[in-house]
Amino acid sequence: MPQRVSIDAIPQMRDAVFDLVASYSRSKRHCRYADVRVEVSEGKVAVAENGMDKFSGEDYGFAFGIRVLGGENVVSPGYFGGIVGAADLPEIGERLKEGLDHAYERAVANARSKEGARSRFSGLGDALYDMSLAPVEVRQDTTDARYEIDPRTVPLEEVGKYVREVSQRVQGLDSGVVFNYISAYTMLERHLFVSSEGANIDQTRAVSQGMCFVVAQGKDGHQELYDYSGHQRGWEVITRGVEQEFIHLPHLMDFSLELARDTVALAACKPLKATDDEVVVVTDPHYNALVCHEVVGHPTELDRALKFETGYAGRSWFLRDVKENQIGKRVGSDLVTAFSDPTIDGFGHYMYDDEGTPARRVYHFDKGIFGGFSNSRQTAAIMGLEPNGHYKATDASLVPLIRMSNTAFAPGDRDPHDIIREVEKGYYVVGHRIPSIAESRENFRITAMKVYEIKNGEIGEMFRDGGLMSDTRDYFLNVDAVGNDFRLFAIPNCGKGQPMQTKRMSNGGPTMRSRARLTGV
Amino acid sequence: MIPLSELEKAVREGLAYLKAQEDVEEGEVYVASNGVLLARLNYTSHIPCNGVEEPKSVENYGVGVQAVFKADGEKVRRIGFGSETSDISVEGVRSALEKARRGAVADPEFYTLVRPAAEQRTLNSYHDPRVLDIRDADLVDAGWRVVNGALRVFQTSESLGNLVERPEKLGELGLIVSGDVTILQERMAIASYAMPEVQTDESAAIMSFITSMVEREGSKGSGYEATTRLDGFTDGAGREAAQAAIATIGGVRLPSGDYRVVFGRQATMEIMHYIVLPGLSTGMFYAVGSPFMGQMGQQVASTKFNIHDDGAAPGLVGSKGITCEGLPTGRTDLIVDGKLVGLLSNHYETQRLMSDPKAKEKLGVDPKENASAFVPRNGFRFARGGGRHFDAQPGIHPTNILLPGEVESTESMCRLVGDGIYIGRIWYTYPVNGLRAGDFTGTVVGDSYIIRDGKLAEPLKPNTLRITENIRNVLNGVIGVSKEGKPTLVWAADEIVYAPEMAVEKVHLDSIGEYMETL
Repeated sequence: MPQRVSIDAIPQMRDAVFDLVASYSRSKRHCRYADVRVEVSEGKVAVAENGMDKFSGEDYGFAFGIRVLGGENVVSPGYFGGIVGAADLPEIGERLKEGLDHAYERAVANARSKEGARSRFSGLGDALYDMSLAPVEVRQDTTDARYEIDPRTVPLEEVGKYVREVSQRVQGLDSGVVFNYISAYTMLERHLFVSSEGANIDQTRAVSQGMCFVVAQGKDGHQELYDYSGHQRGWEVITRGVEQEFIHLPHLMDFSLELARDTVALAACKPLKATDDEVVVVTDPHYNALVCHEVVGHPTELDRALKFETGYAGRSWFLRDVKENQIGKRVGSDLVTAFSDPTIDGFGHYMYDDEGTPARRVYHFDKGIFGGFSNSRQTAAIMGLEPNGHYKATDASLVPLIRMSNTAFAPGDRDPHDIIREVEKGYYVVGHRIPSIAESRENFRITAMKVYEIKNGEIGEMFRDGGLMSDTRDYFLNVDAVGNDFRLFAIPNCGKGQPMQTKRMSNGGPTMRSRARLTGV
Repeated sequence: MIPLSELEKAVREGLAYLKAQEDVEEGEVYVASNGVLLARLNYTSHIPCNGVEEPKSVENYGVGVQAVFKADGEKVRRIGFGSETSDISVEGVRSALEKARRGAVADPEFYTLVRPAAEQRTLNSYHDPRVLDIRDADLVDAGWRVVNGALRVFQTSESLGNLVERPEKLGELGLIVSGDVTILQERMAIASYAMPEVQTDESAAIMSFITSMVEREGSKGSGYEATTRLDGFTDGAGREAAQAAIATIGGVRLPSGDYRVVFGRQATMEIMHYIVLPGLSTGMFYAVGSPFMGQMGQQVASTKFNIHDDGAAPGLVGSKGITCEGLPTGRTDLIVDGKLVGLLSNHYETQRLMSDPKAKEKLGVDPKENASAFVPRNGFRFARGGGRHFDAQPGIHPTNILLPGEVESTESMCRLVGDGIYIGRIWYTYPVNGLRAGDFTGTVVGDSYIIRDGKLAEPLKPNTLRITENIRNVLNGVIGVSKEGKPTLVWAADEIVYAPEMAVEKVHLDSIGEYMETL
């Protein structure tokens, strides 16, 4: 019978993996660098629809990923990923050694082909460089998970019963609710990172997430809304909620019922009428979380800015090339500051990224001036910058990418009620829904859960199926009020990479006021 | 990759083990071995780069068990699923079954596991075995083949040469080659109490989706290649993308307004993938989320519009012999002459729909009287960007999507439109007010031209127009579909759309991002 896989496997294999990586890189003539990531998780999940059980499960995850930089005359990368199981545990050293061999062979073959292309294409071949990683402080460290209720101790039946009850309550809320889907999971994840430079980092985190999707039918209209709750804590996130300085989450029951009430109310509303001209818009923190995600967080990922994503998620209007870019230029009003910070508490929290770089805050906008990008060691080296620890994979078998962490607009000093009260005629845009962003993030269209009319400083009629559309720079330059009600929200489904990686992070901000066109019918 | 014979043996032994369990009413054993080999490409003439950025792979194998547990005392009949990675022995099956037992739930909408189909399997031995045996150096070579193909086009282009003082300065134009070569290797075996004979399937594909740019000139082009045979893979996608990027140099802006449009192949694919196909599944009708609610048998599109899925079409890249439920693949007509006639389905959703008391209201017809419209030919366990995974339960996934048309050529399509726009590539095409509302948007990002007097004229500047439309208007406004469909890929899509060009009477476009001209 195979061994059981638990997160305790990580400390048990830690020294052996460290020794393997160190000796492997010394044993291969053309190996310049190697790193190995190993990840083990233990979790529970349950799903219910329309008050009926649909699925529950309890399982482990076990995966590894390898990067080798190598080559005879020029350096290139090679990678290998494996999803493994309990049967592999006794032989994990052998699995990793096989993976290192594949990654090394790929790196060396890649370097050979790169050298060939450099000589074959005079001029165009000059861009094919000798890859390097920007230096970082090499650390050995262990970080622990934070939780009140250990996900491993929660009976699976309790997870299933809870989501069923939430689903039943949502279903019974109103005859207009025609479909609902509720899910919840809770788990512990443990990650090991070792490199041939001597890094040896063991990080554990607890992650719990709930999801609610509701479809409601009104007399003349319908509405479908979904939203997520989540935090890096234990099962208490789901059953008790979270009450912290910037994170205020009700338990999944209240979270779902509130979303269901909104869905029912919206199904009875008129759709918003689109405008051809800009109007005054006040946007709430939840809506701004997605604005920040899409038009600050994504275009400030340096791999995207350096064109790595041209064929997939697009480029960034902040950078044409190494010399010609928006760094130090005005991209918003004095009131707009935005940052990414993995070190603060949130769904995107960590202390080291997936190449062992100590995480730190980076300001993307500082009082409206473009400050910089989230980066990796490879992209930092290209730009001549210091790495800031944003190279992350959603699964150890996948190659990391530059990702958002806790990425948000910074708070201002205004009372959000005053921001609304000052508006003679405008719209209050509440809750993010679905985005569609231009290729270099220079324009966005994001729908909202609810849009209210503002008349003479008072909130009026609510509309469904509305949102905003604007050119990005104009929108940020027009920001004339920023609230003091900063909040962070869990965003669990950010897609990037090939194959697509879906990452958890936090996004947020305070209430803000700007100008944009309304979208609707 | 685990040999097919070992997968077959594992299923046979696993099923025997399952049958020996007293509490199991019926069960199914699914074993799979998958490899996704991928070379991500990133060449940028103006920024230091690797050319082939990520030669990589992810491999896994294991067993998944689905079991129905008998009612016992206070316990009601329950259904559960569990899996075990890297162990297809009886011990692995035992572990997967234990997980299924622990997590089993009483789902009132579950009736039985899959039952034999009336249709027969038609596709056997259709893959190229050499694709299942690719070495590390072959993967790297496939990536460089595509990069080199694009660079050769750039280096020998007279148009590009005219834009710089001397050939060594070509790199200053900001030439980009981005995308990937993806190699899928899939093997699976399945058997169950109701279908005890072990069925196996083996499939492979090589695909490449490339974007090239002449960034200083703001031009962008795309190239595609998808094949099931190793010797069929060339540098074509790289060459095609580079040529398309060069061809769209000198793009112009257009003002906001309503335009007659020919959607090119990628744009057609993107609209199908994100807006149309998600609304054409039994699961989405059950969840009251389709833009076509209550319209089975009714006109939902122009009579010129037809779409079907065919997972058993010989030679097509998305074809499979059987589904991941062990059922034969085949053709499902979805919209014929503009009428909604069928939906994609798997076994669970077909059963659920047949028993749903609100099904008639949701569909617009009684499902029991229209059973042929909901045959479960699309129950696949696709996940993680490719592969038929043992640790996933079957979802509903398209295979090969075909949109037959009658218009002979791009020239004829443009003549149909007269004056308008050829939109070759769009991006971030999402149903912004939820799928059911049908409202969607997306931006025009490349491969696009003005159509004047029925002919392609100046290229359109990428990233300057946003589509603001409703899918019902677009489908009802189809005035022509081209005859030839080509395999077309969209980032993160499982299916292959053999996309034609599609002419539409009226599409609203908004001008965007004018400040970009001043940066």
